[in-house]
Amino acid sequence: MAGPIEASASASGAADPVFLSLRGLTRRFGGLTAVDAIDLDLGEGELVSIIGPNGAGKTTLFNLVTGLDRPDAGEVRLDREVITGLSPETLASRGIARTFQLGRVFGNLSVMDNVLIGAHTRLRAVKPAVPLIGPLLELVLALVRPYSVKSEEERLREEVRGILARFGDRLLPRIDQPAYSLSYANRRRVEIARALALAPRLLLLDEPTAGMNPSETAEMQALIAELKAEGLTILLIEHKLDMVMRLSDRVVVMDEGRKIAEGVGEDVRKDPKVIEAYLGHGLSQAAMDEREPAA
Amino acid sequence: MSNIDRRSLVKGSFAAIVAGAMVSRTALADASEPILLGVSGPLTGPNAQYGAQWKQGFDLALDEIHAAGGINGRKLAYNFEDSQSDPRQSVAIAQKFVSDPRIVMELGDFSSPASMAASPIYQRAGLVQFGFTNSHPDFTKGGDFMWSTSVSQADEQPLLALYAVRHLGLKKLAVLHQNTDWGRTSRDYFVNAAKGYGADVVITEGYIADDRDFRSTLVRVRDANPDGLILISYYSDGALIARQARQVGLKQTICAASSVYSPKFLELGGEAVEDVHLGTRYFPQDPRPEVRKFIDGFKAKYGGQEPDAFNAYAYDAMNMAAAVLRIGGTDRRAIRDAFAKVHDVPMVIFGSATFDVESRRIKGAMNAELVIRKGQFTLWDGKPT
Amino acid sequence: MSSWLDYTINGLIVGNVYALVAVGLALIFGVSRLINFSQGSIYLVGAYIGWVAVVKLQTPLPVTIVLVATLAGMVGLIVERFGLRPLQNSVRIAPLLATIGISFVLDQIVMLIFSPNPRALPSQLPDVRFQVGGGTIGPLDLLIAAVGVTSALLLFLFLRYSKLGWAVRATAQDRDAAMQMGVDVNRVNQAVFGIAAALGGVSGMLVGMYYNQIDTAMSLQATLKGVVAEVVGGAGSVPGAVAGGLLLGLVESYGVALFGTSYRNLFAFLLLISVLVLRPNGLFVSARQAPPEPLTGTFVAPSRPVRLPPWALLIAFAVFALLPLFPVSSYVLQTLINAWLFGMLALSLTLVAGTVGQVSLGHAALLAIGAYTSALLSLSLSFPVGIAIICGGLMSAALGTLLISPSFRLRGHYVSIATLAIGEIVSLVILNWESVTHGPIGVVGIPPLSLFGYELVGAPSVYWFSFVVMVLLALLQVRLLASHIGRSFRAIRDDDVAARAYGLSLNRYKSLAFIFGGFAAGVSGGIAAHLYSYINHETFNTQQSILALTIVILGGLGNVAGAIVGSVALVGLPEVFRIAAEYRILIYGMVLLLLVRFRPQGLLGTI
Repeated sequence: MAGPIEASASASGAADPVFLSLRGLTRRFGGLTAVDAIDLDLGEGELVSIIGPNGAGKTTLFNLVTGLDRPDAGEVRLDREVITGLSPETLASRGIARTFQLGRVFGNLSVMDNVLIGAHTRLRAVKPAVPLIGPLLELVLALVRPYSVKSEEERLREEVRGILARFGDRLLPRIDQPAYSLSYANRRRVEIARALALAPRLLLLDEPTAGMNPSETAEMQALIAELKAEGLTILLIEHKLDMVMRLSDRVVVMDEGRKIAEGVGEDVRKDPKVIEAYLGHGLSQAAMDEREPAA
Repeated sequence: MSNIDRRSLVKGSFAAIVAGAMVSRTALADASEPILLGVSGPLTGPNAQYGAQWKQGFDLALDEIHAAGGINGRKLAYNFEDSQSDPRQSVAIAQKFVSDPRIVMELGDFSSPASMAASPIYQRAGLVQFGFTNSHPDFTKGGDFMWSTSVSQADEQPLLALYAVRHLGLKKLAVLHQNTDWGRTSRDYFVNAAKGYGADVVITEGYIADDRDFRSTLVRVRDANPDGLILISYYSDGALIARQARQVGLKQTICAASSVYSPKFLELGGEAVEDVHLGTRYFPQDPRPEVRKFIDGFKAKYGGQEPDAFNAYAYDAMNMAAAVLRIGGTDRRAIRDAFAKVHDVPMVIFGSATFDVESRRIKGAMNAELVIRKGQFTLWDGKPT
Repeated sequence: MSSWLDYTINGLIVGNVYALVAVGLALIFGVSRLINFSQGSIYLVGAYIGWVAVVKLQTPLPVTIVLVATLAGMVGLIVERFGLRPLQNSVRIAPLLATIGISFVLDQIVMLIFSPNPRALPSQLPDVRFQVGGGTIGPLDLLIAAVGVTSALLLFLFLRYSKLGWAVRATAQDRDAAMQMGVDVNRVNQAVFGIAAALGGVSGMLVGMYYNQIDTAMSLQATLKGVVAEVVGGAGSVPGAVAGGLLLGLVESYGVALFGTSYRNLFAFLLLISVLVLRPNGLFVSARQAPPEPLTGTFVAPSRPVRLPPWALLIAFAVFALLPLFPVSSYVLQTLINAWLFGMLALSLTLVAGTVGQVSLGHAALLAIGAYTSALLSLSLSFPVGIAIICGGLMSAALGTLLISPSFRLRGHYVSIATLAIGEIVSLVILNWESVTHGPIGVVGIPPLSLFGYELVGAPSVYWFSFVVMVLLALLQVRLLASHIGRSFRAIRDDDVAARAYGLSLNRYKSLAFIFGGFAAGVSGGIAAHLYSYINHETFNTQQSILALTIVILGGLGNVAGAIVGSVALVGLPEVFRIAAEYRILIYGMVLLLLVRFRPQGLLGTI
């Protein structure tokens, strides 16, 4: 059985071809510049974390990359192809998956259905790529349900069960329960599972452990490490610096829309500009605790 | 006697009792129960006010019918079902009426869509559908069980045209009408007749009955330079138009169809309706005995209130129904045949009414030319305004 | 050319009136993001209180105004406290439906007390007229303008400079933050409703005096035009509401000038749609705003749907299928025929509103398109009735989807407003496009239902025909819901941002929903046309759209069996309770309110 992630051939390392590149990405809201001429390169298989005080523009940056928002200036390239300003739906079919800062699962859908939606862009049998009458064909195929459609659906369901198995017994026993009935941590897990079902080439995680307790955080950290080991390219927004240091190949620091530092974790941590940004904006107690050298 | 066990005895007696009850019911029905009419009309919804006016007219007529001994000794009553003038409901009511053996005739509905939607049911079941305010010209074509005393616009509008063009001497007319089937048909007949009398119709404007504001319409009218305004309206919209016409600076003569004839027109229009001319089927000082009986009876029963057009239609319809029943009895088919036989029935609207068997309508509505002077409907004295 | 001056003045005068209603709506929207569909009813209540004061109590004008403002304000407070506040933490759709229910209840209470006859409301001002352009204006015009401008100004100052005003604005921006800052949000809501209601009541009274006429039909007209004015001006903006009202009046006036009176409302609704499509924030509000905060929470009430066991469904099917074989009166059959026809409409609406979350208030338009298509094809082109009905369904699917598509980019209550406007536009086009639809005269002599050459006369055959068609459509819909499309529909409803992020094109799936739903509704309309043998522009109206929505809520949004159950209940029961005819609409309103308050997921639960 094929895993949900098409592992890329390149090994992790410093000299990777640029997979995702942002150039001069800018977004303004009235007088406020939320994202200010950001440049960033991401190699295939890399895990880059973006950190910074609240309001630094991190989520807005994610929105620009995933098409939820249009930049006022700048360019985004995926695997050398320009994707600036494309719609989120198109980018999803190009293999970009994301999770949301506040967690957005489909409340009334079951866990299975939530994750199946993740695989929507991979549907082939029931969504023929025919212009104009494509939607009508889709309707007819969905109603008639020929063998090819049924078996595709079955295959995807099997795959979803496989993905859910990665979370131990947290999600599988609840596979038919509506998402609104799950605990907060489980809902976040469903979000990740949904992202994995897309078989992404690029995964953007927005504070995946927000609101989780230490043991839940540790589980999530282990999962992300697994995904990285499988070769997935990941962009991560996180506040938990310990986790950031352990997972990331590189760390990017944003403040007030600008990139103020970039580099290997240890270097960034000691960068005086970074310390000032955090102190100036007020460092949360938890993050300060995590700045202690990890045991 | 041998094989009758208790069970079949009980069953048999039960059946006998039920049969007996049914027989006695019909037998009793003939004697002391009233003859029942079914009425399908609006008690709620946008046309509720007209349903209320129907009831007033019906009840007055019934008082008189009973005072005169009823229908061959029996009382007459009606069962008013609220259709809201909605075809969906009028159709359901039609099914209800046709399956109720006590109902001998149906009256209504108020609007044409509601009436005509139900016609196939009445026709198939053989129950007379007697319309008296639905004015669509094709209503009676639904079948030979469809009869109507609503005044055909083909008869009424030429009378109005005569009043406006020949008698009032208006030459360039602006016609404002409700944009409904009734308003349209009326407008077409009026325009034809007016042109026939030599007038020029310079502009026609159809409006939605619920509209309140006519000022811009009236500016359009003003710019067409008419010397007279013709209103094919009900009393509420008619009153609004008259008021706003004066506010917009129009001083032309206003001549209206009989549908504005109502004390409400005077109340809602106030001073603006002074000197408005209208053609009606009857008027407050109409000397005809049937009209006097109607008006005096109405005022006595309803605390001095003056009746209006819809009260009169309903009153006449009930009286016509009574006349038909006296001839046709209580058999539904005989009643249909009786419509063709009944003649010279005194009616407020028609004077003396006889059905034209071809069209199943009555020709020759009464006509009076009125004008509003000092806030009252009075007979026009022929003098210019 | 002086006529254009007159058209302009007339437009401003009428616009004045619209502005009055719109200001109240803007105030409420600004604070609670709620389009108050009952504002017109409060307007109506004010007019009647004014009548009592002027005609019965004979109070002088200033006293009348104070009396109306106070009493109408109290009605507003009661509505807020008992009708809306309990729904604070409820699902997003709840307040919308609650205000619709409240409008029914208030309108009916007024009608029951005062009777439906229009009455005169004399103005107590001197009868002087001033020449302006070709026409005249009077003291009442000036008073209405004064009230409009003054209240807008006072509200502006109140919101800007008073403590309570700041609290109102804070709540409007971010309710949770305001609560954390110590703002008593409940008091703020109450104050706003009270003010808006007082203003609404006084407006109703003034307008009643202006036309010297009040009647219960005023309410719906006021709400519709007020909503148009408010949305055009910029939802939530009080100055925008005034500007929007004036603009609406002018557009209508010029529309009449150029095209004639029967196009008046068409222009109003086209203006609304254009604004919603091109500048949804409104014309007088800045278009440059921060992207909306991610909306959390679900749209429909989460619930465990009542799973009807298959044997129960089979029994129900058998009972209804075999019913005509028993000695049942044709009246009962006819009632059920109506229920099946409404059931098809409800199936369509539950798919669109329930499964996909597009709460359409103009669904009756799809009936009309199907009905006219089928009627005209079978009359003018002699299509066999069965084929004509199918064509009616297809036309409704295609044209309906096309017409509704401008609303696809809208969210929340705006979808409902847009669909309401589209429904009205369809009705007006049918009225005016006489060469095709015969205008108000309607289509006469539509051939009766027939299948393969056999006419279906008599209640039983019509019953079976409509029952079978409804059941087939229901089964198809169940199959659709079980497919990936059903899953996609529900995902879009629950969170369209996340749905897009995973490749679901909103336009594609909303279109599919309306294509499928449009077909079902169009077939229903087609069958109705052949059943009634006569249709015109009034046969399929907004009241039916609202009834369909009530049915769908009662059954459970998105629930196929629920749509049918709701239809039988709300179409069948009133027939059973014909005695309560005068109270029927009141009962609908109460049912809606109770459902929304106590069981928003309906009888069988949302899916």
